[in-house]
Amino acid sequence: MSDPVRRRRPSAPRRQVALLDYALGALARRRGRNLAIVVGLAFTTGLFASVLFLTSALTREYTRSIDAAPDVTVQRVVAGRPALIPESEGADLASLRGVRAVHGRVWGYLFLPSIGANVTVIGARGLDAPAGAIDLSVDGVPTASLLPGGRRPRATNEALLGARLAANLGVWTGDRVALPTPSHGFETLVVTGVFTSESAVHTADVALVSEHTARVLLGVPDGLATDLAISLRNPNERSVVARRAALLPGARVLERDGLRRAYALTFGARAGVLAAALLPTLAALLLLAWDRLTGLSAAERREIGILKTIGWETRDVLTARMWESGLVAAAGAALGLIGAYAHVFWFDAAGLSGVIFGWSALYPTLALVPSVGLGQVGAVAGLVIVPFVAISVVPAWRAATLDPDQALRAAA
Amino acid sequence: MSAVLTHQPPAPTVEVTDAVKRYRDGRREIVAVDRLTLAVDAGSLLAVTGPSGSGKTTLLGILGGLITPTSGDARICGRSVVRLRDHHRARWRRAHVGFVLQDLALIDGMTVLENALLPLAPSGGASSADVAQARTRLAHFGLADRVEVKARTLSGGERQRAAIVRALAHDPDVLLLDEPTAHLDQDNVSRVVGMLAELRDAGRTIVVATHDPRLYDAPAVDRAVRLVDGRLG
Ligand SMILES: Nc1ncnc2c1ncn2[C@@H]1O[C@H](COP(=O)(O)OP(=O)(O)OP(=O)(O)O)[C@@H](O)[C@H]1O
Ligand SMILES: [Mg+2]
Repeated sequence: MSDPVRRRRPSAPRRQVALLDYALGALARRRGRNLAIVVGLAFTTGLFASVLFLTSALTREYTRSIDAAPDVTVQRVVAGRPALIPESEGADLASLRGVRAVHGRVWGYLFLPSIGANVTVIGARGLDAPAGAIDLSVDGVPTASLLPGGRRPRATNEALLGARLAANLGVWTGDRVALPTPSHGFETLVVTGVFTSESAVHTADVALVSEHTARVLLGVPDGLATDLAISLRNPNERSVVARRAALLPGARVLERDGLRRAYALTFGARAGVLAAALLPTLAALLLLAWDRLTGLSAAERREIGILKTIGWETRDVLTARMWESGLVAAAGAALGLIGAYAHVFWFDAAGLSGVIFGWSALYPTLALVPSVGLGQVGAVAGLVIVPFVAISVVPAWRAATLDPDQALRAAA
Repeated sequence: MSAVLTHQPPAPTVEVTDAVKRYRDGRREIVAVDRLTLAVDAGSLLAVTGPSGSGKTTLLGILGGLITPTSGDARICGRSVVRLRDHHRARWRRAHVGFVLQDLALIDGMTVLENALLPLAPSGGASSADVAQARTRLAHFGLADRVEVKARTLSGGERQRAAIVRALAHDPDVLLLDEPTAHLDQDNVSRVVGMLAELRDAGRTIVVATHDPRLYDAPAVDRAVRLVDGRLG
C-alpha cells in the first residue's frame, strides 16, 4: 500500500491554513467563552490605550503650543494671583542686548453663561497687517488655518472663533455673536471665520478679536496687559533677560524651555501613575484568563485526545491552539484600541481627562486631534497578545504532550 | 539480495513481543498487559475479547503505538515504534494506523464531513479528491444524507460508522477499533461487522477489542483471542 504521509508532503503555508481553518471552527464552537475573553481583553486594552493616546495627544498639543509661546513671558503676581502688568515696564527690557521686541499681550478668560463655558479671548495685534502676518502667538496659540469661507478680521467688531466655540454658540462665518462685557453690556461681533480643529486644545474655545475689543471684553485698561511677551534675537541671552525681568515688581517669569520641561513632567508623571494603576487590572485579567485556560474543559481535553489519536502531533495541536488564542487576543486588542481611539478622540476621553489635566475645568469640552503612532498601537497590541497567547498555550501543551492514552483517560 | 532493486513493502500488520504495561494507581500497581506476545496476520480481522479490565484497550493502544509499553516491543508495519520520538511515532502511526476509540469519537460541534477530514489538517488539509473520497465512503456506509449535519445529531450507529470513515482518511494499512459495537442494536452491529469485513477484504488488517459476542462470534472474524488479566487466556 502507498505511504500516504510521504505522498502528501504538506507545504508549510498549506499546513498553517488548514490548522487556522480548524482554529476558526474551534473559535466558533467555543464562542461563548471566547467572546467573554475578547470583551475582557478589549476592556483592559482599551483602558491602557486610552491613557496612552490621551497623554501622547496632549503632549503633542502642548509641545506645539509651547513651540509657539514667546521666548520669555513676564507675568505680574499680586497677592499670589496673576494681575495686570503695565506695558511701560517692558521698555527697560526692550533695550537689553539680544531682545528683539517686548509687547504687552491682552488675553483672558470670559465666562459665557449661555453655554456654561469659558471662552479664551485673545487680543490680536496687527489686525491691519497684510493677511498671513496676523499674530496669533498670544498664549501659545499656533497659527491655525480657517475653515473655508473665513477671512481674517479687519475691524474691531470682527472675530475669529474656535470650532468648538462656534458650534456651541451655534454660529458660523458671517453670523453675529454678542459677548458680555464687565460693565454688563454686550459687544456684538461679526464672525469672519472659524478655525479648523488642527490645534484643538488651544483654538477650540478661542475668540480672536482686536486688541481694543479684547480690552473691552476683559476689562483691561489701556496701558496695562495680561502679560509681557519677550522675543529674543539671541536665544543665548535668555537667562540674562529672564533674570532682569524677574527684578520687576511681582514678576513671575516663564521661559519657554522651562514650560516645556514642566508640561512633560506633569503629564508624563500623571500618565505614568495612571498606567501603573492599570497594571494590576491587566494582571488580574491575565490571571483570570490563565485560570479559565489552565482548566481545560473536559470537552477540550477530549478534543485534544481525539486529535492525537487520529494522528495529530503535539506541535499541530499547539499551532492550532496558538491560532485560536492569537485570534482571540488580536480581536480583543483591536477592539480595545478602536474603543480607546473613540473614547479619546470622539468622546473627549470622558472620565480620564480629569485625572490627567488637573485643571480640566478650563477646557470643559476638550477635543483632541486624533494622532496615534504605530509604535503605540504595536506596543499595546504586543503587551496583550503575546502574554495571552503564551499563557493559553501552556495548558494545551500540557494536554497535548500527555500520552494519548492519558489524554484519553482524562477525557473519559 | 540487492536492496537497490527489490522493493519490499512493509508487511501491513502489527505485533507486540513480550509487552508489559504497568499502571500505578496510588500505591497499587496494576499490570494491565502482562508479557504478552501477539502478531496479527496481515489482511485479517482479529477480535480481542475478555472481561472488563482485562487489558483489551491497553493492548489495542500498544499495538497501534498510542500507548508505550513499560517493557517489550511493538512493531507497526515492520517498524518498532517503542523508542521512536513522539513526532516520528505520530507520523508513522498516521501513515499506517487508523484508530477508532470508544471514548474519543467525533467532535460534536463539527459536521460529519469535517470530522472525517480532520486527520488531514496537519498535512495541509483536504484536497478536493480527499473530500470526494470521504463523501463517497460516507455514502457507501449509509451516511449520504448525514454528511453536512453536526456530529451531535447522529445516532450511535451512525457515529460509529462515521468514526470508522474518519479513521480511513489516511488510507491506513491497519485499523484498530475499541468496542465498535458498544450500545448498538443488532441492525447496527450487523452494519459495522459488514463494514469491517469489507475493509478487511480490501486488504486492511483489522483488530477489534470487544466483549460483544455479536461481534467476536461473527463469521467475518478470522480469529479471536481472549485476554484474562492482561494475558492471553
Ligand atoms: N492510565 C491508566 N492508569 C491507571 N490504570 C489504568 C490505566 N489504563 C488502564 N488502567 C487499568 O488497567 C486495566 C486494564 O484496562 P483496560 O482499559 O485495558 O481494560 P479493558 O479490557 O479495555 O476494559 P473494558 O472492557 O472495561 O474496556 C484496568 O484495571 C484499568 O483500570
Ligand atoms: Mg476497554
